Amino acid sequence: MNRPSPTVAHPLLDRRRFLGQAGAGLGAIALTHLLARGGLLAATVSGKESLRPSIEPGRPYAPRTPHLNARAKNVLMIFCSGACSHLDTFDYKPELIRRHGQPLPGSEKLITFQGEQGALTQSPWIFRPRGQSGKMVSDLLPNLGALADDICFIHSMKGKTNTHGPGENFMSTGSALDGFPSLGAWVTYALGSSDQSLPAYVAIPDPRGKPQNSVNNWAPGFLPAAFQGTDFNTSQPVRNLQRPASLSPAADNATRDFLQQLNGRHAEHFPGDTELAARIASYELAARMQLTIPEVANISGEPAHVLKLYGADEGGSKIYETRAAYARNCILARRLIERGVRFVQLFNGAYQTGGEGFSNWDGHKDILNQYNVHGPVLDKPTAGLLLDLKQRGLLKDTLVVWCTEFGRMPTFQKGAQGRDHNPDGFTCWLAGAGVKAGFSHGATDDFGHHAVHDVVSVHDLHATILHLLGLDHERLTYYHNGLERRLTDVHGQVVSNILA
Amino acid sequence: MLPKVLRTAISVPSHRLGILGRVLRTIAHLARLAVSLCIPLALPLRAAEKSGSVPTRPAPEIAADSTDSKPQSHWAFKPVIQPAIPRPTPFLNQPAKAIDRFIQQSLQSAGLTPSAEADRVTLTRRLWLVLLGLPPTPEDVQEFVTNPRPDAFTQLVDKVLSNPSYGERWGRHWLDVVRFAESNGFETNRERTSAWRFRDYIIAAFNEDKPYDQFIREQIVGDALGIDVATGFLVGGPLDIVKSPDPVLTAQQRADELDDMVSTTGTAFLGLTLGCARCHSHKFDPISQKEYYSMTAVFSGVKHGERPLPPSATQAVEIAQLDATLVQLQRQLAKFIPPALPASPTPAVRASLRPAVNTIKNEEILNPISARSIRFTILAAHQGEPCIDELEVWAGDRNVALATNGTHVLASGTLPGYEIHRLEHINDGKQGNDRSWISSEPGRGWLQLELPRSERIDRIVWSRDRLGRFKDRLITQYRIEAAEQPGAWAVIASSEDREPFLDKPRMPHPYQFDLFSTAEAEQGRVWFAEFERVRKRRETAAKTPTTYSGSFQQPGLSHRLHRGDPMQKREAVPPGTLGIFSPLELASDEPEQRRRQQLAAWITNPANPLTARVLVNRIWQHHFGMGLVATSNDLGRNGAKPTHPELLDWLASEFVTRGWSIKRLHREILLSATWRQSSLPRTEALKIDGTCRLLWRFPPRRIEAEGIRDSILLAAGSLDSSRGGPSFFLHDVDRENVYHYHPKEDFDAPEFRRMVYAFKVRMEQDGIFGAFDCPDGSLVAPRRSISTTPLQALNLFNSRFILGQAERFANRLRTETGSGTADQIRRAWQITYSREPSPRESQDSEAFVVREGLPALCRALLNSNEFLFIP
Repeated sequence: MNRPSPTVAHPLLDRRRFLGQAGAGLGAIALTHLLARGGLLAATVSGKESLRPSIEPGRPYAPRTPHLNARAKNVLMIFCSGACSHLDTFDYKPELIRRHGQPLPGSEKLITFQGEQGALTQSPWIFRPRGQSGKMVSDLLPNLGALADDICFIHSMKGKTNTHGPGENFMSTGSALDGFPSLGAWVTYALGSSDQSLPAYVAIPDPRGKPQNSVNNWAPGFLPAAFQGTDFNTSQPVRNLQRPASLSPAADNATRDFLQQLNGRHAEHFPGDTELAARIASYELAARMQLTIPEVANISGEPAHVLKLYGADEGGSKIYETRAAYARNCILARRLIERGVRFVQLFNGAYQTGGEGFSNWDGHKDILNQYNVHGPVLDKPTAGLLLDLKQRGLLKDTLVVWCTEFGRMPTFQKGAQGRDHNPDGFTCWLAGAGVKAGFSHGATDDFGHHAVHDVVSVHDLHATILHLLGLDHERLTYYHNGLERRLTDVHGQVVSNILA
Repeated sequence: MLPKVLRTAISVPSHRLGILGRVLRTIAHLARLAVSLCIPLALPLRAAEKSGSVPTRPAPEIAADSTDSKPQSHWAFKPVIQPAIPRPTPFLNQPAKAIDRFIQQSLQSAGLTPSAEADRVTLTRRLWLVLLGLPPTPEDVQEFVTNPRPDAFTQLVDKVLSNPSYGERWGRHWLDVVRFAESNGFETNRERTSAWRFRDYIIAAFNEDKPYDQFIREQIVGDALGIDVATGFLVGGPLDIVKSPDPVLTAQQRADELDDMVSTTGTAFLGLTLGCARCHSHKFDPISQKEYYSMTAVFSGVKHGERPLPPSATQAVEIAQLDATLVQLQRQLAKFIPPALPASPTPAVRASLRPAVNTIKNEEILNPISARSIRFTILAAHQGEPCIDELEVWAGDRNVALATNGTHVLASGTLPGYEIHRLEHINDGKQGNDRSWISSEPGRGWLQLELPRSERIDRIVWSRDRLGRFKDRLITQYRIEAAEQPGAWAVIASSEDREPFLDKPRMPHPYQFDLFSTAEAEQGRVWFAEFERVRKRRETAAKTPTTYSGSFQQPGLSHRLHRGDPMQKREAVPPGTLGIFSPLELASDEPEQRRRQQLAAWITNPANPLTARVLVNRIWQHHFGMGLVATSNDLGRNGAKPTHPELLDWLASEFVTRGWSIKRLHREILLSATWRQSSLPRTEALKIDGTCRLLWRFPPRRIEAEGIRDSILLAAGSLDSSRGGPSFFLHDVDRENVYHYHPKEDFDAPEFRRMVYAFKVRMEQDGIFGAFDCPDGSLVAPRRSISTTPLQALNLFNSRFILGQAERFANRLRTETGSGTADQIRRAWQITYSREPSPRESQDSEAFVVREGLPALCRALLNSNEFLFIP
């Protein structure tokens, strides 16, 4: 249900008219185009000409045209924070069962993130064939397993760091270092949004708290702040969104009107100044969001069968209550997608008191008991979300990306009952717009240690997501500190094998 | 470089061209003109860019140069030669200043004229906002407006330049350039509680007008100049403190630290993107990968960390004297330390118990015994897995436990995952938590030392943290055994004859005077009292502030890393500088400090073509919103070309000849007619140069995050203008293993200082002003984007901060003017806009105040464009 974007009320914001006033008009556009083709404009490192989106001041979220034919209109990214083990969920390794208890061949005295490794250890959960495709998915995630025919698995993911912070940075921004723009920021910078009364990019933190790397996951980096993800969930509203409680709506509106009058008079002295006009427009957009965000975040009107589908209706135990809270966030994600929000980032797992693995997927010490919490919390609500999107026809235009910062070792850590970090092989999956369904791409070795077949880097995954949105990852650039920066740096290849 | 079709269009005579050809030729001419004038060609895009929500890169002029066949011939690598000042142009305002002649020459060739001088109110506001980051008070404005002297503006400039708020504003610009922050970043994001000293140093440097070459030297090698705090520059960047036994990760982390130092140095002082040469030689600039690694070699002895500043010379003399006294007294007192008794079923054999264990140092005086193995069994500990930083076993004056003695150590288990807690630290002769061992189990564990030969041991010394910082993980119950033959263990000391450990650890003395004769005991007590007195004096004498700055040690060889991969070392690379200008190549074993001294000398050499150009361009940028070179951190071939190359060079050469004085440079710019122009738009000029790169007016712009907050506080009468010292917090902090920063929503007086003094957190922004394009210090930020977003509007319109300040502002108005609405409004206008309200404004405002109240008016004013823009 995409609402028509409201027309911009303020004449100062009329771009055509501004161009006319500035006198350069279409001539300059034509000239730019010619010069660009003549190679006078900056090229990216790849040698391709940059396609920097042209953004209207005051309407940073106006929809913009992609470079290519888009298969997907929006993205729902589900991020399992803490590094979800591929070996206990989606990557079935019979060899690990056969060699259970034996050392990992060729890796005597293997030192990984936390130290020495013990023996190869089979998953505590049994894998079973699921759906028509017979895809093997573990009993940890039966509901998601049941949807295997709708999912496109990538089993050959490869990261480059085995630390959570840099790993989450890498998955969310394409750089292990701090300070780079997130995928969602790049996407909204390129495409704006089809809805003009909600933020173009929403991050939904887990009910238990923010992910390990916190706001870096939805940061604008060096992109303008307009493209930062706005974070809220069903229990944590947008900061400063609400009208101050001490004021009546009428008084609040009167003050806004008075402010706009002050600004309007001031702008009369600066005809054609887009910056002033943009600030005037931002208060109008803010006023709209003040109404629409609470409306979209209020899921109380959802019917019982929907709450049940997601598992949002069950309580009574700590696990169920956490699950219900996450389920409400899943429903919120669907509502945002439905409204046309361009990029929704939904987190499962948080960094919080209690130590590693307690509230996220970092199962070092006791993976059985830790994942017996995280599995159920993730499974039913996420599966409900996928099903709901599918039933409402939203998967046609929405690309769902399930990811985590890296995978885990096929061995248990020496002296512990869990798995250490492993960036060399792990699983992500996609579903929905533009990707094959019931398909698996790439593979790790027999033990699930290294990605060996059709290896997909994080940059490749990013390039593919952009491609599905109709964006050429080599041409979508932003100039920062001496470089035409790209999401994919100087890397990345579209994984064409998974495109439908 | 025009496309071929356009070049053809120009060279072919008109009569041989069709209509299309003529159109093309017109376009081509326009294009050439535009390129030669550096007029931004993509006007619509640029206009949008300027407004913010868009890339701020001046698109077309960039990279026009990157097809040069000889990179060395790039303009910025050529020596700065002072150009002749152009002849005056016949424009309305007679240009007195060199700057105006350069600017007006370009205006003239583009068919533009400069704007008239702005009125005095505007000038005062502009001057205050640009130089101090705060609006002027009504009195400041009045003083200038009514000053009849012909040099009134010069006077005003000098007054403002000597205002200490200047350093707070321009120091903030520099802190952006050097990615200053007070937390580590990455996931743990721990605090750097003493990093504020570097900020204070920067602010003071601007206020004192420290010569820029000196300023550079101090930041690179301040430890050689007695200004250690300035080396906070080197280690100002993010630091990943999550250490792991994984060697790949460790090497990568170190390579990232060095890259941060090299890149920041290159970009801050030289305007070069050195980081681009980390994996391969630079694609645009003549910087080879080898040169990048010779720069890393310059910094390879630099480490992050909080450290005490060195004692001053007078302090050092006093400390040495006190130390000598302490050693003497300790010798005299030694006989009062009772021996440890082997544990027995009846510990009460001795009348008094030995002091309880403590975290700093525990001594076990033994009945001398021959031993080859010593076993230390931990039976209980205070808080968590027990820790020992050093375990010493003495045979006379030799610590035979040291690994260098050939002693092997075994343990029950070591807490995994920490570089700083390893078994080999137990007997490495190094003290402190960073070189310690922690048991893998809470409250338990054992250590066993295997000596290479039998030794007659008489004393065992162990501690939790000899440096005294950590109080947890202390062993409270233990047993120490020795064996000459395998398995033949005998208890030689234990906690049984010690006082029980109390939860609040204290540092008891080990002397037991009661066991001696009264006279001896009396003597001992006198010595001990003297010892304590001297020890306290020494403590005070040795106190120096700690600061987060560089720590230095002589590094080993540096290597080129193939594709930047720290696991793919290639040939060794000696320390050195870049080849673009008189390259230095130093010896591979060059002393650590000298490496940085040489680099600093090379950067500050007046003949270095980049240093002065980069700085004057930065200063220009913060006056006019955009530098003469738009890409202020990249003067390389991929950067923008200067709009006024001669002016840039003139400013750069003047800057160096006049002693690298930044305040003189400001004066030169401020007193120009160009700076004093009105900012009002003119339709004709907008047509030609819509983004005002040629400066036909003063370009107005929104003030930055810090300026907005500071201005609001000032207007409301809340601003606490105390300067310097530790930061105040805009966040509540959860100090767990990983630090969490929760933006505060309620603020009071402690948070009403200028925002430059707010604790600068990486990743987590302030809940209100972070959204105003505030960089978080993770990367260098040479120029802030100025975006406009609905979240900014929500924060500024709805936050409790703004409502609170609106109330305070309203109270201020009532106090200063009484209860008359008209007067209140008049005063409000003077404070926020530096002017009187128009009759219409008064009328509307009065009606509004009657309906909605004075605070509502204040809330609107504090949100308004006129208040938030540099006019």
